[in-house]
Amino acid sequence: MKLYIKNYSSYRSDREDVDIRQLLKQKYKLDTRRQDDFIHLALYGAQMLKERTPIREDDELYVTSGYGDVDVIQRTNTYVNKEKEPLKLFDFINLLGNTTSYYVAKSLNIRGKNIFQISDNFTYINSLVSLYASIKNSQKDAILCAIDLASTPTEVSKRVLGVEKDVKIVSSVNYQKFSLDAEDAIAEVEFDLKIYSQDEIHAMMQNGRKAVFNAVRCAKAKNSEDAVLFETMASDALNRALAKNEDMLYIDCYEEKYKILKLKSLK
Amino acid sequence: MASVNILKYEINASQGNLSQTLKAIKNGKIEQSLKRIQASLEEVEIPYYSLKQAVLQDQQSIYEALKNLLLKILPAIEATKRPSTALIIGTSLVDWHLVDAIDATVYEDEKQPYVSHKQSIDSYAKVLADEFGLSSFTMTINTACTSSANALLEASNMINAGMFEYAVVLGIEIFSPIMSSGFYAMDLIARRMPMPFDLDRDGLVLGEAIAGIVLGKSDAVWSLEGGFSNCHSQTITSVSQSGDECVEVMQKALQSSGVKADEVTALKAHATGSYSNDLAEINAIGKVFEPSVKFTALKPYIGHTIGASGVLEIALLMAAVDDGFLPKTLFCEHSISSDYAPLTEHVKCQEGLFMCNYFGFGGNNISLIIKKEL
Repeated sequence: MKLYIKNYSSYRSDREDVDIRQLLKQKYKLDTRRQDDFIHLALYGAQMLKERTPIREDDELYVTSGYGDVDVIQRTNTYVNKEKEPLKLFDFINLLGNTTSYYVAKSLNIRGKNIFQISDNFTYINSLVSLYASIKNSQKDAILCAIDLASTPTEVSKRVLGVEKDVKIVSSVNYQKFSLDAEDAIAEVEFDLKIYSQDEIHAMMQNGRKAVFNAVRCAKAKNSEDAVLFETMASDALNRALAKNEDMLYIDCYEEKYKILKLKSLK
Repeated sequence: MASVNILKYEINASQGNLSQTLKAIKNGKIEQSLKRIQASLEEVEIPYYSLKQAVLQDQQSIYEALKNLLLKILPAIEATKRPSTALIIGTSLVDWHLVDAIDATVYEDEKQPYVSHKQSIDSYAKVLADEFGLSSFTMTINTACTSSANALLEASNMINAGMFEYAVVLGIEIFSPIMSSGFYAMDLIARRMPMPFDLDRDGLVLGEAIAGIVLGKSDAVWSLEGGFSNCHSQTITSVSQSGDECVEVMQKALQSSGVKADEVTALKAHATGSYSNDLAEINAIGKVFEPSVKFTALKPYIGHTIGASGVLEIALLMAAVDDGFLPKTLFCEHSISSDYAPLTEHVKCQEGLFMCNYFGFGGNNISLIIKKEL
């Protein structure tokens, strides 16, 4: 399967220290009321993408995440289950995964398909698979938002990530706009459904291609580039290579099984 | 889009499995219960469509409920084909793995030693896929009331793209005090029964269900002919009363299936029984179809099962047609439209083209076209 990348946007909390809410209000003139940090993070990435590439009304939108909006679950759990207080109306609405994608779609003036989905493993690659299948059918372009918020306390997120307690997790949002059409594309990405073994991965690396591993998940592999974790970091790795106009082989790992993404710069 | 066949379907809902639910529909004996939830000032009782055997809000109970349903539909797929079968779940369930992690971390009296396992709302699908030898590709979609309907469309796209030979789509929703309180706070819960399209309708009644459909290219009498999904609404909780957003998905679903409106045998409406949703939908029906169109609402039999409703209501519609009839819309005595009214009696029907609508919170709307050809 091959998709062309028209453009991208990227933010990571360990690389930039910005007041996202203020930026959304002042720079992008968006109404931030009744929205959580998770939604603001998604909106910030969307606005940066909008600055870099034309968005069409019928573009499809996919939003994926490792575990979604922890803050709103924590808040409603405290109010309703612990303090026996009534549920706040906008907490109820924000509990739904597609609330985030609604606000993103609205801020981009998209009226096409809009899906919020989570895969337990290979989250980003699985989302690419469904996005590819969809636009293969519709012949439209699609935007993929990959988002993870490191809420406080981060231990909550770490408990569902399958990691050691000392692993550093960060907030991140990464977008790409994909198409089946190569015109004006800055890169192409190839992927498949195949699960690779460690031996196959090592063989693949013999050809000298630059490989980037998911450092925390691929603990046994070498050449890890990043010692922090967020579930959708494949998307961030892609964007980092795009920023440098580099080719890349991204290797993700889960329970000793590997999946790959091949990025080829067209610039 | 190319059609994908519907090979097997089953449900576990408030009236039981498909066979028991059809029996209840024909006998007119619909069971409903009550649930207590926290409202702003006090606890209140609300009507609810409960499963006959309760499924608790914990991971093991939810997993067992999904597994039991899966066991009933999986025989439609040869054992050798399971590795090329995707599993997609549609739900709006809260992720209880996260709730447990919050409990163990945040509250002093519930703190637990640090333990970490990779878990998410999609863990149910992942564990089921591992246990039954399905493809490692799993996915859980949360687009509120359209979750499992969207899962069906995503699954059919993947089969048409040649990625998988089969796909199992499950929808699940179980009683959640938080979700129920949310709907109550929005003043959307009916006092007693849902009365879709009736002048006196006063809201929806939630329900719980697990439902499943197997899609593939093997021969079958039912097929998913096409559909269209979008995100377009006036507000985050409702489409405009003109129904124009609904018209768009209905017309594009017809286009994607190569079907004209007058070729549609009947329409399964989303029809929650809420004031604005029903008004928008009947206005949309009026803009797409002639007044002679047959349409019905299934929620008075099984409740509004949110994320499960996509798979559940299609499965129930197919089972009714397999049994030779289209169910009437219960409790609608005076339609809100002078020209358009839902079925007030069961109508004979054995095959045809059917439109199935779902319009949800978060602006998600979807319309699917299914066909039965004998």
